[in-house]
Amino acid sequence: MTVPRSIQWAALAAVALTVPAVASAQKTSFTHVASIFADAKEGPLRKPEGVACTEDGEVVVADTGNGRLLRYQYRQGVVSGGSEVKLAQLTHPLLVEFDPKGNVLALDAKTRRIVKVDPKDAFVETVDIKGAPSPAATPVSFKVDGQGNLYVLDVASDRVLVADPSGKFTRQVTLPKGPGQFVDVGVDAAGVLYALDAVEASVWVASTKDSAFKPLTKRMKDRMNFPAHLTVRKGQLFLVDRNGNGVDIVGLDGTYQGRHLGIGWSDGSVNYPSQLCFDGQGVAFIADRFNNRVQAFSTVQ
Amino acid sequence: MRSSPIVALVAILVVAAGAHPAMAAAPKAAPKVDKPVAGGMKLKPGAEGKVCMDCHSGQFDAVLKRPVLHTPVKARNCVACHNPHTSEHGKLLADKPSKTCAKCHDVVPKDAKSTHRPVVDKGCLACHDAHASANRAVLTKPAGELCAECHKAESERAAKAKFRHKPLETAGCTACHDPHASTKSEQLLKNAVPALCVGCHKTDRPVFAQKHMNYPVAKSDCTSCHDPHGSNQRGILYDRAHAPVAKQMCNQCHEAAGSKNALRVRQTGVALCRGCHNDKVNQIMDKARVHQPILEEGACLNCHTPHGSRKSGLLRGDAVSACGKCHADTIKRQQLSVTKHDPVRDGSCATCHDPHSSNSALMFVDNDTTKMCGPCHSGGNHSAHPMGDKIVDPRNRNLRLQCLSCHRAHGTEFKHMMPYATGPDLCTKCHTKYSR
Repeated sequence: MTVPRSIQWAALAAVALTVPAVASAQKTSFTHVASIFADAKEGPLRKPEGVACTEDGEVVVADTGNGRLLRYQYRQGVVSGGSEVKLAQLTHPLLVEFDPKGNVLALDAKTRRIVKVDPKDAFVETVDIKGAPSPAATPVSFKVDGQGNLYVLDVASDRVLVADPSGKFTRQVTLPKGPGQFVDVGVDAAGVLYALDAVEASVWVASTKDSAFKPLTKRMKDRMNFPAHLTVRKGQLFLVDRNGNGVDIVGLDGTYQGRHLGIGWSDGSVNYPSQLCFDGQGVAFIADRFNNRVQAFSTVQ
Repeated sequence: MRSSPIVALVAILVVAAGAHPAMAAAPKAAPKVDKPVAGGMKLKPGAEGKVCMDCHSGQFDAVLKRPVLHTPVKARNCVACHNPHTSEHGKLLADKPSKTCAKCHDVVPKDAKSTHRPVVDKGCLACHDAHASANRAVLTKPAGELCAECHKAESERAAKAKFRHKPLETAGCTACHDPHASTKSEQLLKNAVPALCVGCHKTDRPVFAQKHMNYPVAKSDCTSCHDPHGSNQRGILYDRAHAPVAKQMCNQCHEAAGSKNALRVRQTGVALCRGCHNDKVNQIMDKARVHQPILEEGACLNCHTPHGSRKSGLLRGDAVSACGKCHADTIKRQQLSVTKHDPVRDGSCATCHDPHSSNSALMFVDNDTTKMCGPCHSGGNHSAHPMGDKIVDPRNRNLRLQCLSCHRAHGTEFKHMMPYATGPDLCTKCHTKYSR
């Protein structure tokens, strides 16, 4: 039987291609509330790939194309700030995270090192996990939890390295070897780890006692194209489908809960989106890379 | 099925050679004409095919003169396959064609690791004649010819090879492949490699060790270095053999032949390749973004083979399969696209993306997408529409109008790789006053 081309397209996870916003049945929704286009001096963003938020609305953007970080504040629907942080140690910022002390940790694409920047925008250190088993890590992503523990996705050794707030190695969790490609790691409030396989569009999980990841979801390639970023928030996993231009939501039990957003150039649409973060009010910030901006969405649950 | 064209070719040849017992001359439990057969026909002795031939003799006389007859035909047992009265199936078959054949020929085991696509998709008649043929195993054509119908390129390549694998010449594809299915290996191989190979190539002979530089390769994957159908290199090494392989300098990458772990590589990951390809590695690592597979454990070997390949650059396959291994969604998008973008269709991913490293997002070869499109697209059709660095995209103040403002390079379900169904749908995204 020949499947009509239209149905094949529908099956392709990039359904979002032609749909500005895909409605879904779950409770979370994404409503555009603001866009960040420029720094404090009206200098435009250029292919930003990273964004991190604090509970009280501090936002840092990895303005990757311009080789800098930008700091903003988001309060009551208004974005302010836009001060620039340019460091010799961080010329290609890719992904960013806040630690509980207000430091910014940023992964540099070129050096493949994690750089720590203090709240006053001064370089602190290049983060090394002290006592980590060799070989040296090759991080492609990382996360920091609420206690300041660091989780580094080391693709050279198929593992996630965990360090305590002082930077001391505490454990490593092995990733499976297989046809997929792990691209991001996440951690929930209970310390459970999640690893995202972009090629298979699947999520793997490891409890605090596990030494290896195990499957959480099935292959979800029929629902998304190439999920490249993972954010954990309040019992849900948010998968940013980079090539499919959307955000997919998965429950912590692995159930698929729906999809949001779609490709476009206007406010509310995304174009090869990258990192996603949430502030304390549930406002989601997405690095909208090929639209040269960061967008903020109100999410209602 | 996962089998390569070669495998499938071989598989078909097997049928042709009559090597498959089930399909050839000895069907399981061939129905006897003096007992109730298909459909419970209780025919009188002597009434079998003779009754049928009373009417069908004209069209069947020539068929029956063919040298190879299907066993039921030979026995004139027409009701083995046909219902003489009524049927819900074409040609008064007693059952669905696949089930009719399967009564006697169980050629696809449930635990098959690989199956020949025609067997699954088209059924037995894709290769066999139901009644009679001039070819062994009632094949519709001579085996080699039949295999080559689908596996033309592989067949031609093997025929032109300077050094050919002898079994292919003497016994055809079925020397190594089962034309229906294999429970032992991918690609319809009758046995897994190297077990299949060592059936002929005795690894305990001194000449074998000598040819392999005394490395203990008896349990290695022979097809890592050798092209199983033939090549233009002595020893049927792949036409594109890694220089150390071609020069028999295995110890350049592996530990010494007589050592305890002779097959172990001297270093892992990029470090090993850097020994010879230092400049290339430096060039790759000097850019802002390195393609993730290079950073992973397999490093270069995630896309390249260490010994030999039919593809340039020792790629593990053409770009569509090598890149598509991870980027299947992109390949699929292109395949479904109404308008095909030539570089993507042809597997020339490197036209726009650097497969190793880049200073741009998405591994683009240039930060300026217009420059990437320019060499192939003059933009003549768009001369009336403003584009370029000074033209702000009305939809987004941080964007300038360029090719990707209106097209998606990997295709869409609409013409011209546009993201919207019609021109007006697209145009009114900017020219909003014309929107209805």
